[in-house]
Amino acid sequence: MSSGAGPIYPLAVSPAEAPAEHRSYFAEVARDAVAPRSAKLALAWIACVAAMAVLAPLIANSNPCLINMDGHWSSPLLRSLNWTDLALLIVAVVGGALGCVRRKKFWPNMTLLAACLIVMSVVYGFFGPPPQNVVYEQYRDAMRQGRVQFVLHAPIPYSPSDRFRDEPDTRLLPPSRHHLLGTEAFGADVLSRMIHACRIILAMGFVASGIAVIIGVVVGGLMGYFSGIVDILGMRLIEIFEAIPTLFLMITLVAFFPSEDYRLLMLMVIIGITGWTGYARFTRAEYLSLRSRDFVQAAQAAGLPLHSVLFRHMLPNGITPVVINLSFGIAAAIIAESTLSFLQLGVIDQPSWGAMLSQATGQGGDFLWWMALFPGLAIFLTVFAYVLLGESVNDALDPRRRR
Amino acid sequence: MQPLLELRNLTVAFDTERGQIRAVQEVSLSVYPQQTLALVGESGCGKSVTALSILRLIPSPPSRVLGGQVLLEGRNLLDLPEKQMQSVRGKDIAMIFQEPMTSLNPVFTVGEQIVEAVRLHQNVNTKQAYEIAEQSMRDVGIADPDKRLHEYPHRLSGGMRQRVMIAMALSCQPKLLIADEPTTALDVTIQAQILELLRALQQQRGMSILLITHDLGVVAENADAVAVMYASRIVEYASVYDLFDAPQHPYTQGLLRAVPRLGAVGQRLAAIPGTVPNPARFPSGCKFHPRCPKMNGDPACAGVEPALRQIEQGHWASCHHLPDFANKPITRPATDAKRAEGSAVS
Amino acid sequence: MSDGPPRADQPLLQVRDLRTYFPIKRGLLSRTVGYIRAVDGVSFDIHPGKTLGLVGESGCGKTTVGRSILRLTPPTSGSITYQGQNFLAFRGRELRRLRRHMQIIFQDPISSLNPRMRVGNIIGEPIQVHGLARGNEKQDMVAALLRRVGLEESDANRYPHEFSGGQRQRIGIARALALSPDFIVCDEPVSALDVSIQSQILNLLADLRQERNIAYLFIAHNLAVIEHFSDEVAVMYLGRIVEKAAARELYANPKHPYTMALLSAAPEPDPRRKTGRIVPGGEVPSAAHPPGGCPFHPRCHLTRMAAEQAQAGESTVVSVKYRGTETLVSLPVLDVGGTMEIESGGQRFRVLRKCATQTPPLEPKQGEAGHLAACWVTR
Repeated sequence: MSSGAGPIYPLAVSPAEAPAEHRSYFAEVARDAVAPRSAKLALAWIACVAAMAVLAPLIANSNPCLINMDGHWSSPLLRSLNWTDLALLIVAVVGGALGCVRRKKFWPNMTLLAACLIVMSVVYGFFGPPPQNVVYEQYRDAMRQGRVQFVLHAPIPYSPSDRFRDEPDTRLLPPSRHHLLGTEAFGADVLSRMIHACRIILAMGFVASGIAVIIGVVVGGLMGYFSGIVDILGMRLIEIFEAIPTLFLMITLVAFFPSEDYRLLMLMVIIGITGWTGYARFTRAEYLSLRSRDFVQAAQAAGLPLHSVLFRHMLPNGITPVVINLSFGIAAAIIAESTLSFLQLGVIDQPSWGAMLSQATGQGGDFLWWMALFPGLAIFLTVFAYVLLGESVNDALDPRRRR
Repeated sequence: MQPLLELRNLTVAFDTERGQIRAVQEVSLSVYPQQTLALVGESGCGKSVTALSILRLIPSPPSRVLGGQVLLEGRNLLDLPEKQMQSVRGKDIAMIFQEPMTSLNPVFTVGEQIVEAVRLHQNVNTKQAYEIAEQSMRDVGIADPDKRLHEYPHRLSGGMRQRVMIAMALSCQPKLLIADEPTTALDVTIQAQILELLRALQQQRGMSILLITHDLGVVAENADAVAVMYASRIVEYASVYDLFDAPQHPYTQGLLRAVPRLGAVGQRLAAIPGTVPNPARFPSGCKFHPRCPKMNGDPACAGVEPALRQIEQGHWASCHHLPDFANKPITRPATDAKRAEGSAVS
Repeated sequence: MSDGPPRADQPLLQVRDLRTYFPIKRGLLSRTVGYIRAVDGVSFDIHPGKTLGLVGESGCGKTTVGRSILRLTPPTSGSITYQGQNFLAFRGRELRRLRRHMQIIFQDPISSLNPRMRVGNIIGEPIQVHGLARGNEKQDMVAALLRRVGLEESDANRYPHEFSGGQRQRIGIARALALSPDFIVCDEPVSALDVSIQSQILNLLADLRQERNIAYLFIAHNLAVIEHFSDEVAVMYLGRIVEKAAARELYANPKHPYTMALLSAAPEPDPRRKTGRIVPGGEVPSAAHPPGGCPFHPRCHLTRMAAEQAQAGESTVVSVKYRGTETLVSLPVLDVGGTMEIESGGQRFRVLRKCATQTPPLEPKQGEAGHLAACWVTR
């Protein structure tokens, strides 16, 4: 009893009864992480953004869902879908169905399906025929000419890049019955653009942070476990990467590669490969201290193989700072993209919340409140949701604080 | 004789998310001038909370004193305004802690820290304060105090840091020293040095010591009187001889049997079954009854909490199974017993 | 490698001249500027079902000995022979197979269990990895182990933080037992526990030793615990064994001044204790710069007494009062090379020149057979 010193405050009490069902550690963490109300709300918002991202072409599209023109029926909306849209939709639908039917092998199946579809869409994108270029103007003209007998529009009948270029009077309208959140400088519907921008927000957060976390945990873990020369070299590598001014790098590369197609991917990769150093530092520090902890020594003494020591015993105990910072990292990546787009260095043609925000000061210098409020609010809410989730995951990862 | 420090029915509770936890319940004890009273108990029994409550050092909230008095020479410390309390701390009552590593501030030299304590309570200038600091370091047996004064705590060994802590505590000549596990973190030979130092300083200065410990060996060697705490209450109170010669409470008896002693090779130890109760889930009735060998299904043990009764002159205990327990008087425990001179010679 | 039962007449484990040094690194390029000699030439045998107690103060290297034997801290040099096989020669998979037979119980019941794993997995994983059992059979084994150490079967589904300190130590014992080892390093297994819990754990360990013929290396700083639990006791000071003897013999008749000091300094639960106390002056020196000669000489009371008498030229016999009985120590003054003055703890003392300049070997002393001590004075 050197515990005679003991904590002065009574220890938190844990329930005497054991939980009835067996779950893996991470399943329990996930359950506990979404238990608080704030986390539920945050998750609901992120789910909402994700649903928008998947369903964007169905929700907001100028092309009618169903049209009877000159006597025959067609669905220009479906014809306008490209492979990315389809792949996302199929993953969502099949995944949802599988999730409802059988819980057990849900995640492995899901991952396989998503991987197949992504590969297919990439392959198709390179080698397949280009998606049909469906032009909305032809239907508009047809409607004006009275050639349309029946038309069913999407809930928001405006595409994000549908700019009414020929109709200058639709530019920069404040919110109205037709345009719920107003229109932007080129006459596109703000709501439609915001819905389509959800994809960029999600991709930005997950891909950029995913790259950073994978590099960071691997490098940091190796540094911490092997220490010595590996550690010294790793630290120098970290210092080199930390010396790179990310924003300037992005601006420079954007200037060199003006092609719109790769710009988004490039931004994600840059944020990823310059943002891993923090994760590497956390992981290294954790592994260094875990290496001498008694339970790791006990695992070694029991003759457990290296992968079990590294991943079953050390990783769950060392991942906490990474997981907590992951959500903040996602938020930072979103803000980075918004910043670049705000500076008009990000995506140009594709819709982005940050880019829309930059239009809040109109040509004449007057303040367009709807262009500031709605995209700004969306960015704020998304970042806030990730931060809330991060806090809640932080609590859930500590088994002593579990309820 | 008038006790220097007297606790009367002190009850301290913590407010937690899961409700109120009574860490200290109706604790009464008396420390007489020049006496060493040992407060013995295991982790979570409330002995440290008791000590910190005397100095009002427990943050409130979450803690609350629900009742009782802390009388220092007849003055209730619980009623003093914070300002006066500050002058009591350090000047009248000083405290040393278990971890000499963390109780010293690493960014100041030990001299600066002692001088700060001295100047807080005595009206002296810095130069005089350094002289007092040097003298008190010499008193606790630190060689070359004039050099050591200018060293940072991390340069000192554990035993040396504890000496510095004692020097700091004694620099203002307190009447009472509260020593909370002063030797637990130290090695046996260093522990012996520190215990001997405390004994010598007590004789020189005539101060009283409230010694908080879990180690019955330390109690036997340094204490005049002993209060045994179990699960927030004092369960036995006697002079050190009475307690070790004729322990009355089954917990005290069990503890004394459970300690391995030198010279008892290969004998099987008598263990107390069960676990030390968690303060948030104390058992009903006598808190020791789930582990007690004397209980034998007695409903009184599980139902009624026994009061601390005077078993005989100078000996208090709380157990339903003591002979004629119900008819013994309930009195406030206090004994001004002293140990015989020279019983722990060096 | 032979997995047969250990033979009682042969040592299960032989440790010879074990040294574990930790480099002291400085500067940007981590240059090695010196070594901390945590373990500096330690040798002993442990027989099947027997317990060697290793006692000493913090920093004496006793914990490092335990970890080095299991190769959790790689030893710098020396040999470790387990059942006739050179344990230090094994690598990779072979090493992991051999680890089954040698387990460890830690001091801190909080940090020694993975907080993110259920108790059932903590105990069960080694069983599965070593192919002893899987599935339901494994769960039965885990349940049996939990019952054996005094816990409930259903505790397998709980996390370590839901248990008290004593219960956690029981889990640690169950984990060590899971692979049916024949040797366990107990690294201060009870010093973090409450007094009333300590004896439960000690009794459990003693019962297991009898039931399963397990040999222990029992590391502790509490002399009474060591004496109670061990067959043989080795006292360590600054990385070396300074005295080794059967438990009873060592306590009744210590031959090294450090052992005497340790024994007399230990507080005893007896308020009427009248025995004298030998409190060594000063503190344990740093293992990075151990004193030359006998490492204990700056704190040693024997060499001071001997030097005083030698100086006066009065007697060649020193009387040492230890636990009430006076021991006479004969001292051949001629071969100690006179006396010299040293400084220790800010004070100056006169010691025997031999103590300050030559390191005494661990050699047999008069008395019971197998009583070894490293001291020039008590030769």
